[in-house]
Amino acid sequence: MIQKKICMIGDFAVGKTSLVARFVRQTFSDKYLTTIGVKIDTKLINLSQQQIKLILWDIAGSDALSTVTASYLRGAAGYLLVVDGTRKPTWDTALNLQELVNSQIGNKPFIFLLNKADLQEQWEINNLDITEQLQQGRAVIHTSAKIGTGVEEAFMQLAMKLLNNPLD
Amino acid sequence: MARIPFSIIKYVRFLWMSEKVITYLHIDAQGQLVDWGGYPNYYGLVNLVIGKQATEQISFLEGLLPVVHTEVIQFLRVGTSNSAHVHIVPYQSHTWVLLFDATAEHDRQQKVQQQANELSILNYRQSRLIQQMEETWQALTEEKQQLEQISQAQGRFFVTLSHELRASLSSIINNTDLLDIPLEEYETHYLTTIRNNADHLLSLIDNSLEQTKLEIGQVVLRPSRCEVKQTLKELENLFLPLAQEKGLTFTLESQPTIPSFVMIDGLRFRQVLINLVNNAIKFTEQGFIKVTLDWQDDQLKFAVADSGPGISPESQAKILTTFHREKIAYHLPGVGLGLTMSFNLIQLMGGELKIKSTPAVGSLFSGFIQAPATGYIPVVAETSQIITTTSLARILIIDDDVVNCSLIETTLRERGYLVVSTYDSRDAIQLTRQIQPDLILMDLLMPHLDGYTMIQRLREQQFTQPVIAISASNFEHDRLYALTSGCSDYLVKPINIEQLLAVTERTLCKC
Repeated sequence: MIQKKICMIGDFAVGKTSLVARFVRQTFSDKYLTTIGVKIDTKLINLSQQQIKLILWDIAGSDALSTVTASYLRGAAGYLLVVDGTRKPTWDTALNLQELVNSQIGNKPFIFLLNKADLQEQWEINNLDITEQLQQGRAVIHTSAKIGTGVEEAFMQLAMKLLNNPLD
Repeated sequence: MARIPFSIIKYVRFLWMSEKVITYLHIDAQGQLVDWGGYPNYYGLVNLVIGKQATEQISFLEGLLPVVHTEVIQFLRVGTSNSAHVHIVPYQSHTWVLLFDATAEHDRQQKVQQQANELSILNYRQSRLIQQMEETWQALTEEKQQLEQISQAQGRFFVTLSHELRASLSSIINNTDLLDIPLEEYETHYLTTIRNNADHLLSLIDNSLEQTKLEIGQVVLRPSRCEVKQTLKELENLFLPLAQEKGLTFTLESQPTIPSFVMIDGLRFRQVLINLVNNAIKFTEQGFIKVTLDWQDDQLKFAVADSGPGISPESQAKILTTFHREKIAYHLPGVGLGLTMSFNLIQLMGGELKIKSTPAVGSLFSGFIQAPATGYIPVVAETSQIITTTSLARILIIDDDVVNCSLIETTLRERGYLVVSTYDSRDAIQLTRQIQPDLILMDLLMPHLDGYTMIQRLREQQFTQPVIAISASNFEHDRLYALTSGCSDYLVKPINIEQLLAVTERTLCKC
């Protein structure tokens, strides 16, 4: 069976743990509980007639890449950069983290997840910022761990990228 | 030093191992699980099978093996299990994975971090809220400024319009004045109707104009020595007949503390009192009107009380609004400007207006204005000899308003002056050279050549005789501009005949 390690990266309280909970267990809690260190979850998926075991590393949120955080990235096949759409600074953090992760583990597939899409009235991310990333060929998906929008799509799309990644 | 017995060391080791919940996983060079010990279940590692690939059983090892140096992964949790510090140690081509319990430390850190993160989010939300409030405030301020600009533009438009209306009305009024000849009774009736309606229209325009000027800040006070008791006397003369006509008791009281003279804009103060008393008489059907004046600490206090229908508390909040009229006033003359103007004028005079009223009992309008006491200045009476000294004077009238021009011409001729007039400002310079007038009466706004330019040219040509400006504008800044431009006096349309004659004679007398 194919196994792939995927890291969840982003600022604190952007919804990384909630996205994993929604994807793995189909659950959601409004209560915010900060992650310390890393939480490992797994999920078996079927993709292109193959069974793939995704090993999800839900890493504690941070706006920088510490030595400890960097140690979690080792062996990752790809990663999801999670942004809280209602807090513009988390978008800037994600862009910054992407560069740092890239310098740490090399060019691996990744997707930007604009989470909390159910709170559009509080949205702070500019469409121009998103367009700029799209123009660079990067994937951006709007997700809502609360109502499930885009969650399955995000993980499956990344898994597909991992399968098709010739470098892995 | 005595050696620690082995049994004690063993006991301490047991305790330490128990507390740290030490667990190990032994993996061979092929990545197969060789052996394990401790409490893998405690860390969420279940159903471990010896001889099977380690990464298939221990998911977090995916991508990590083999290791060259010892790797440490802090605070790792598998699923909902306990937190561990994981040490991956290479040893002779094999790998040893050691797990140490970090749950207590994890929980401690989580508590601290949770508070810090929640506080950070709270601060962010608060700062965004403040930013949004500032943006809203900014937007509202801009909107307010725009509305003020629109209001000012409307005000200016209204002022211009009212000047035009005044100019036409002045012709109507002045021409009716000129018809001072024996007429048939029905003709007199028609003429009186025309004059009364024209007067009413003029009063309406003047009040609206005054209120607009107050709103756009163009009213300038002209404080001078004012005899308060004289003002009261004027009020009595003005209103006593009206009150008597309605069967009302009309009393005026002034306290002995009032100085003979105070420094106020007497005209504006009179205007306020007239408005208040006029309203009181208008609305009171029976009973009394009482006007009281007092003075203390450089403040002139006034009160107008009546036994009228009173004003309900809800209406009291509205009556100072421009053009507001109570239902009771619908059948009465007026447009709802007097009280608003009075309120604004009082504020301009550094005072305040208070309203107390009880429905079916009556109302009390009281307040004060700033009025410092001033000394007595004797008034020098002007003599009637002026006329004889100036009656042969030559006067040139320059006004494109034919009606106004002919009115002034007729009036001055009747007084024995030698009058020449022209409607075309372009002829004025030539005429001045020819007749050498002792006085020029000149409209300021004329086609071809306006009054200001005309004065400049006349002065350049060494014309030193006085020039009296005539204008439909009764703005203070227009008056001042005319005076600083070289005019010796300023008359406002519609021309008041008596004022025209007085100013003409006074000016000529000074020559």
